[in-house]
Amino acid sequence: MKPYTLIGLCLLIVVLMVLPLLVSRFYLYITLQVLMLSLFALGFNLLFGYTGLLSFGHAAFYATGAYATGLILKNVTNSLIPGVLGGTLVATLLALIIGFFCVRHTDVYFSMLTLAFGMMVYSLAWKWRDVTGGDDGLIGIPRAPLQIPGGLSFSMKAVSNYYYFVLIVTLLAILLLYTIVNSSFGLVLQGIRENSNRVEFAGIPIKRYRWIAFVISGFFAGLAGALLAPLENTVAPAAADWTKSSEPILASLLGGIHTFAGPIVGSALFILLKETVVRHTEYWLLVYGIILLLILLGLRGGVVGALIQFKAKAKR
Amino acid sequence: MGSKEVGRRDFLKYGISLVGTGVLGSQLVYPLDPVYAQTEKKGKIKDPIRIGAQATLSGPFGGYGQFMKMGAQLAVDEINSSGGILGSKVEIEFRDEELKPDVAAKNARYFVDDWGADFLTGLDASSSALGVGAIMGELDRVLIVTHGATEKLTENLVYKQGIKQIFRISVPVYQDGIAAAIVAKDFPAKRWVTIGADYEYGHTAWNFFKATLKKLRPDVEFVEEAWAKFLTSDFGAHITKVMAANPDGIYSTQWAGEAVTLIKQAKLFGVFDKIQTWMTPMGAAMDVLEGLGKEYPEKAWVTCRYWFQYPDTPENKAFVARFYKRWNKYPHYVSETTYSAIYAIKAAVEKAGTLSTPEVIKALEGMTLMTPAGKRYIRPEDHQAVYQVPWGRITHNPEYPFPTLTDLKVIPAEEYFRKPPFVEA
Amino acid sequence: MRTFLFQGLVGLSEAMYLWMVAAGLSLIFGVLRVLNFAHGSLYMLGAYLTFYFFGLLGHNFWLGLVIGPVFVAGIGLLMERFFLRLVYRLEVAYQLLLTFAFVLIFNDLVKLIWGPIYQAPPMPPGLDSSLSILGQAYPLYNLFIILVGPLIALGLWFLLEKTRWGRLIVASASDREMASALGVNVPRLYTWVFMLGAWLAALGGALSIPIRPVSPGMGEIIIIEAFIVAVIGGLGSLKGAFIGAILIGLLHVYGVFYVPVFEMALAFILMAVVLILRPWGLFGTREA
Repeated sequence: MKPYTLIGLCLLIVVLMVLPLLVSRFYLYITLQVLMLSLFALGFNLLFGYTGLLSFGHAAFYATGAYATGLILKNVTNSLIPGVLGGTLVATLLALIIGFFCVRHTDVYFSMLTLAFGMMVYSLAWKWRDVTGGDDGLIGIPRAPLQIPGGLSFSMKAVSNYYYFVLIVTLLAILLLYTIVNSSFGLVLQGIRENSNRVEFAGIPIKRYRWIAFVISGFFAGLAGALLAPLENTVAPAAADWTKSSEPILASLLGGIHTFAGPIVGSALFILLKETVVRHTEYWLLVYGIILLLILLGLRGGVVGALIQFKAKAKR
Repeated sequence: MGSKEVGRRDFLKYGISLVGTGVLGSQLVYPLDPVYAQTEKKGKIKDPIRIGAQATLSGPFGGYGQFMKMGAQLAVDEINSSGGILGSKVEIEFRDEELKPDVAAKNARYFVDDWGADFLTGLDASSSALGVGAIMGELDRVLIVTHGATEKLTENLVYKQGIKQIFRISVPVYQDGIAAAIVAKDFPAKRWVTIGADYEYGHTAWNFFKATLKKLRPDVEFVEEAWAKFLTSDFGAHITKVMAANPDGIYSTQWAGEAVTLIKQAKLFGVFDKIQTWMTPMGAAMDVLEGLGKEYPEKAWVTCRYWFQYPDTPENKAFVARFYKRWNKYPHYVSETTYSAIYAIKAAVEKAGTLSTPEVIKALEGMTLMTPAGKRYIRPEDHQAVYQVPWGRITHNPEYPFPTLTDLKVIPAEEYFRKPPFVEA
Repeated sequence: MRTFLFQGLVGLSEAMYLWMVAAGLSLIFGVLRVLNFAHGSLYMLGAYLTFYFFGLLGHNFWLGLVIGPVFVAGIGLLMERFFLRLVYRLEVAYQLLLTFAFVLIFNDLVKLIWGPIYQAPPMPPGLDSSLSILGQAYPLYNLFIILVGPLIALGLWFLLEKTRWGRLIVASASDREMASALGVNVPRLYTWVFMLGAWLAALGGALSIPIRPVSPGMGEIIIIEAFIVAVIGGLGSLKGAFIGAILIGLLHVYGVFYVPVFEMALAFILMAVVLILRPWGLFGTREA
C-alpha cells in the first residue's frame, strides 16, 4: 500500500470513529447502511470481481443471516455477539449447501441458478409463517446488549452505541477479506477468472476453489444481514427478494469491480444517490434510472473504458 | 423553508466528507439540525409543524399513495387557511415506502432525525407499518397509521410491547374478517370457500372470518381454500379449485387491481351463476368500484375502511363535497383516514398545548373525534381508533359513474373490534 | 379427470402470455447475447400503448392491438441503436445494469403519462362470454389466447426457417464472424431482432389488458417468470421457450391445486433442477 493511501485510510477511520460526535442520528444511520451494504457488496464481489461469477441470489444469505440472528436473539439468548455470530454461521452453512450446486456452472447459468435458490429462500421466508411471521416479517427483535465475558455489558439501545459495534465488526471483516484476496488463494481465484483452463492444467481443483469463494462470499453477506436485524428490530421477506440481490451488484458496478475498495465506494454512492434523489422528486425511479444510464455510458470513456483497455491488454 | 435548505446543505457536506475520505477535516464540523434542536425546547410550539407521511407511490399499488396525498393535502390546506394548529402552519411531505419495511424505516428516520418531523402518518403495507412501528420508541414521535391493517400493530406492538407512540386511525382487519362473518351469518350460504391473498392479511382475515362465523352459525362448513400469491394476474386456477367444492359463498381478500382482475375473471368462469354470495372486504374501495364499473356483479358484498355515503351526517356530506370540489373525485377510504389522521394530530396538539410526545400521547388516548367517518374513539389500551364502517351489497346506481352500495349493514363497533387482552380467536 | 383436464386448459392460456415474453427474451439472447431485463417493461409498454390507442380510436381493441405493439417495436429500435449497442462488448452484468435502468425509467414514465392508478379496460365485444367445456364455463377470451400463442409460434418458425432473412438470423446466432464475412449487415440484423423481440413482448402485454390490470410495475411480475421459462427451455431456443411456458403454466395451475404450500417456489425449484441436471435447458444446445 502506498503511503498516501495509508494516510487517507487512517484519516477515514478516524473520521468514522468520531462521526457520532459530528453528525445527527440520521446520518449515523445512513453510515450504518453504507457499512452493511459494503460488507454485502464486498462479499458479493469476491465471487464476481475476483472469481468471475455473477450471483443473482445473494440476498438469500443476507436474509438468512438476518432471520437467523433475529430468531436467536428472540428465542435463545439476549446477547448480541452470539446472536450475530449464530446468524452468520447459519447463512454460511446455507452458502455451503447452495454453493455446492452452483459452482458447477459459470456465466449466465450460474446467475440463473443463484436466482432460483435465492427466490426459494424468499418463498420460504414468505410461506413459513409460524417461524418467520410471513410477509409481516419477524417482529420484536431486540437490539440486545453487547455482553463480554467477565460481566461487562454495553447497552445497544442508542444508535450511536450500535454504530460502534457495527463499525468495529465491519473494519475487522474488511481486514479479513483483504487478507484473503491478497493471499495465494485470492491469486488463484483471479487466475480462474482470467483463464480457468490454464489454472486447471496447473492441477488446481477450480470447482473447490470456487466453492470456497462462494462460502466466504455467503459468510460476508450473512454477516451484513445479521447486523441488520438488531438495528431495524424487524426482518421481512423483502430482504430475500431479487431486488435486494441487485443492490450489491449495482453498488459493485458503480464503484468498480476489479478493485478491492470498489464495492465500498459504490455502496456509499448507491445509498447517497438514492437518498438525494428521493428528496427532490416523487419520480425517483425515473431520475435514478437516468443517472444509472449516464454513469454507465459516461464511464465508458472513464473507468469502464479503462477496463476495456485493460482487458484488451490482458488478452494480448 | 430556510431550515430545509440547511438540511440539504448538511446532507451534501456529509456526502462529500464520506466519499472524499475526509480530505478536509473541517468540512465535517457542522451543527445539529437547528429544527431538531428547537423541538427540545419545552412548551414552545414551533412553526411549521411538520408531518412526515409515507405511502406506496410506485409500482402496481401506486394509486393508493395518490389517494392518500389527496386527503392529506386537503386537510393541510384547510387547517392552514384557518389559522393552523395553535397559530403554527402545518407542512407535510410524502415519501415512497415501496411496500418494503426497510425503506419505510429509513424514511421514518429521515423524517424524524433530519427533516424535523413532529408526527408521522400514512403507511400502506402491514409489514411497513410494523417495521416503522418497531422503531417508534427510539424515534419517539407519534405515528398515526392510516391504512396498514395488521392487528399485530396495535395488539402486539402497542398493547403487549408497550410502544405507546403508535396509533391507528383506520379500522384493522377486524372489519375484513370479524364484521364479514357477522354479516355472513344472515346469509343462507352454508358452504364457504376462500380465494385468499397469500399473505398475512389474507390468512388473518380468513381465520377471523372462519372462527367468528363458526361460532354464530355452527351449521356452516369451510370446504376449500385457494391461495393466490402477491401480484397474481391469473386467477383461473384458484377459481377452478374452489368451484370444484361446490360452494355457496366465496370470501376473497384480494384488493385493488387484484380484486378487479379476480372478479372479472370469476365472471367469465361463470362463478356468479353458481354461487349465492361473494364477499370481498376491500371491494368498496373507490378504485375497485371504478375499475370494475358496470361489470361489478350485484351478488358481491363489500366494505372498506370508510364508505363515502356513511354516515349520513352533515360533517360527512360537507367533507365529500369539499373533497369533490378540490379533486373532482369522491374520496377513497385512504383519503379519509389520512385526512382524519391530520385532524387527530391537530386536536391532540391543541389539547396538549405542546408537541412533547408523551403529552400528545396522553391527549390522544381516550380522545373522541368527530371525523367524516363518524365518531372515532381512540382506545387508550391499544391506540386503535374505534368506529364503524358498513358492509353493503353492490348496486348500479345511475346517479354515480361507478357502482355504489345498497342494503348497508352497520354492525356496532363493540361487536366486532377485538378487545384487550386479545386472547386468541 | 374432467377437473384435471379443465385445469390444464386454464394453465394453457396463462402459458401463452409467458410464451410471448419468453420468446423475445430467448431470441434476443440467442442472437445478441444480451439478457434483456427490461423485456417485462416492453410487455408493460405494449399493454399501456394498446390501452392508449384503444381509448384514442373509439374504444376499438383490435386497432389498439395492431398499433400498440408496433410502437413498442419502435421503442425497441431506439433502445438497441442508442444504448444496448454500446454495451455488447461488456460483461453481462453491465448489460443487466443498463436494461435495469430502463426498467426504472419505463416504470416512472408510464406513471407520469397515465397516472399511478391501474387501468382496467373492458373485454372486447364478442369475446366477453364463455363456452361450456367439459361441463364447466370457460372464458372465450382464454380460448382465443390459446389459439393466438401457437399461431405466433408457427409464424416465427416460418420466419426463421423458411425465409432468407430468418436463415441469416439463425446463422449469425451460431457464428457472428462467419455471418459478417458472408456480407450480412450484423448490426442491422441485431436491430431487427431486438425489434421483433420487443414486438412479441408488447403483443403479450396488449393481449393481457382485457383480463389483467394495466399498472406500473406489471413488467417485473412477468419478467422473472419469463426468465425461468427461457432458462428451462434453453436460452436461445424458441421451441424451448414454447414448451417451457406450457410447463410453467401447468405447474402453476396444478401447484395451486395439489401443493399450495410450495406453489410459490415450484417454478424456481424446477428451474434449479433443470439447471443442475441440464444447464443448457431442455431444448438448448450445449455450449463448448
